[in-house]
Amino acid sequence: MTAIPLEHVLILACILFTIGFFGVIVRKNTLFMLMSLEVMLNAVGVAFIGAGSVWQQADGQVMFILILTLAAAEVAVGLALLIRLQQRFKSLDIDCLSQLKG
Amino acid sequence: MDLLALSMIIPQLIIAAGIVLAMLLVAWRRSQQLIANFTLFILILSLVATINGFGVDKLSVTQLLAVDDYSRFAFILVLSATMICLYLSKIMLKQVEDVHDEYYLLLLLVVLGAGILVVSDHFASLFLGFELLSIALVGLVGYCRKAPNAVETGFKYLILSASASSFMLLGIAFIYAQTGDLSFTQSSIENTGLTIPLLYQIGFMLFFSGVAFKLSLVPFHFWTPDVYQGASSPVAMLLATVSKCAMFIVLLKCCYTATNLAVLQHEKLFEFISWIAILSMIVGNSLALKQQSIKRLLAYSSIAHMGYLLIVVLISNSSGLNMAWQSVLFYLTAYLLANASIFTVITLMDRDRDVYLDVTINDWCGLFWQQPLKACLLIFSLLSFAGIPLTAGFIGKFYLVSLAANQSLWALLAALIIGSGIALAYYLPVIFSLFSQDQVSDDKHTVSMSLLEKFVVTLFIFTGLAIGIFPDAIGSVLQAI
Repeated sequence: MTAIPLEHVLILACILFTIGFFGVIVRKNTLFMLMSLEVMLNAVGVAFIGAGSVWQQADGQVMFILILTLAAAEVAVGLALLIRLQQRFKSLDIDCLSQLKG
Repeated sequence: MDLLALSMIIPQLIIAAGIVLAMLLVAWRRSQQLIANFTLFILILSLVATINGFGVDKLSVTQLLAVDDYSRFAFILVLSATMICLYLSKIMLKQVEDVHDEYYLLLLLVVLGAGILVVSDHFASLFLGFELLSIALVGLVGYCRKAPNAVETGFKYLILSASASSFMLLGIAFIYAQTGDLSFTQSSIENTGLTIPLLYQIGFMLFFSGVAFKLSLVPFHFWTPDVYQGASSPVAMLLATVSKCAMFIVLLKCCYTATNLAVLQHEKLFEFISWIAILSMIVGNSLALKQQSIKRLLAYSSIAHMGYLLIVVLISNSSGLNMAWQSVLFYLTAYLLANASIFTVITLMDRDRDVYLDVTINDWCGLFWQQPLKACLLIFSLLSFAGIPLTAGFIGKFYLVSLAANQSLWALLAALIIGSGIALAYYLPVIFSLFSQDQVSDDKHTVSMSLLEKFVVTLFIFTGLAIGIFPDAIGSVLQAI
């Protein structure tokens, strides 16, 4: 079995990251925006694990565990705000949230 | 980890223990007064421990943290800003009906995040501090649930801050893939001059963009005015002072390692950061010109101030490092004091009327004739922001200018001068409006201040004056570091 080169892993991570980023920008539904954020964070996780295995260190995997923790915390706060949004506007559309301007 | 190393991070440990105890306190008895006093006690304890630790040389605590006097000074700034915020929050929360115990927990979490950031020496601890700070701040920004814009502000801040941290993480992943080391002082890239691997360059740019978001530098600044305006005044003050102060310190700690000093001199990276600095100074100041809302004005002015500060990141030789640290810490002190003063006045005015209403320049018309004390404080802090002599802001700017001239960063120096010129055009009208005679008959400023409030306002005025007239008081402390 041949090892997968680091470049391929990083390219995969970049593609996933871009997909996630475009999801955050393009989607109107806040729930899908949160999901796209998850995709971005997990793409970074792939990059870390790939780099960690190349260097034969645990650091990459440790960082991935920290990222997972962050993702959980962030989604918890995000979903709480999502419920407030649903209660107030009866909709999850991000366009409800555009009152501040100047 | 031996006892000595552990004793270096006592201030942070006190805050961490305080968070757990505060949580237990909430379970035991729900009293706003009790938990507010407890939070104040923890902050003072941590402040005393930090001051007590001064004078000890730089010491690494595991490979994650490194404590030196610069980070101690920065942590003192963070703690003082939080104490002012605590005082303002107590005033603000009296008007909001919800339960408030969690507010103080979140406040302590923000301090812990900032405390980890100022001592971090490793990308993992940087990441943890960054996220503790951001997620707790999201909670605070959206805290007043009855406020008309709370959900919008919270959500904007959450989405943008999460994207920024993903960008920062991707950058860290690239740097790690290149070097195989997550600490700031990497040895694997030697100072080989011009051959910096492309992956490292991209990684550093991505990392810098993530930090620049937190500092609200120009291409990443769009959240700042909205969030300042939507958040309650004490929280906006926290965003302006604690979060920026801590982020800037950690950026410097990362950039001032031997490796990164060489990396930053690389042509492309140098240009990238210079452009961000110049754009922040010019665009930030220009956008502030037509603002009516005071909080939005402060948001844009904070963008410009962070742009000025970015000059110190670009110094080229390691001999100027001490001077650079001194300038940054002095500038941050002046910036923090002026911000705290203005937000104190805003909070005191919020108290006298509908708390969710935005403060505009018109609300301050003729303030001087009715409330001279508040007006004096405003005048001093606005002049300090503008950098007029005899204020702390002037000395801070003087440090930056002399540093830039020493390092012959002429383009940045020119932008700083133009930016300061534009800034006068929006600071001075605010000051003039304080003296305007038009709406004096209006009785909107008649509510008088309590003795404590008068004392706090006077204290701010005298501290500002003292630092402006005797800058050596702080300068000598910084030099001794």
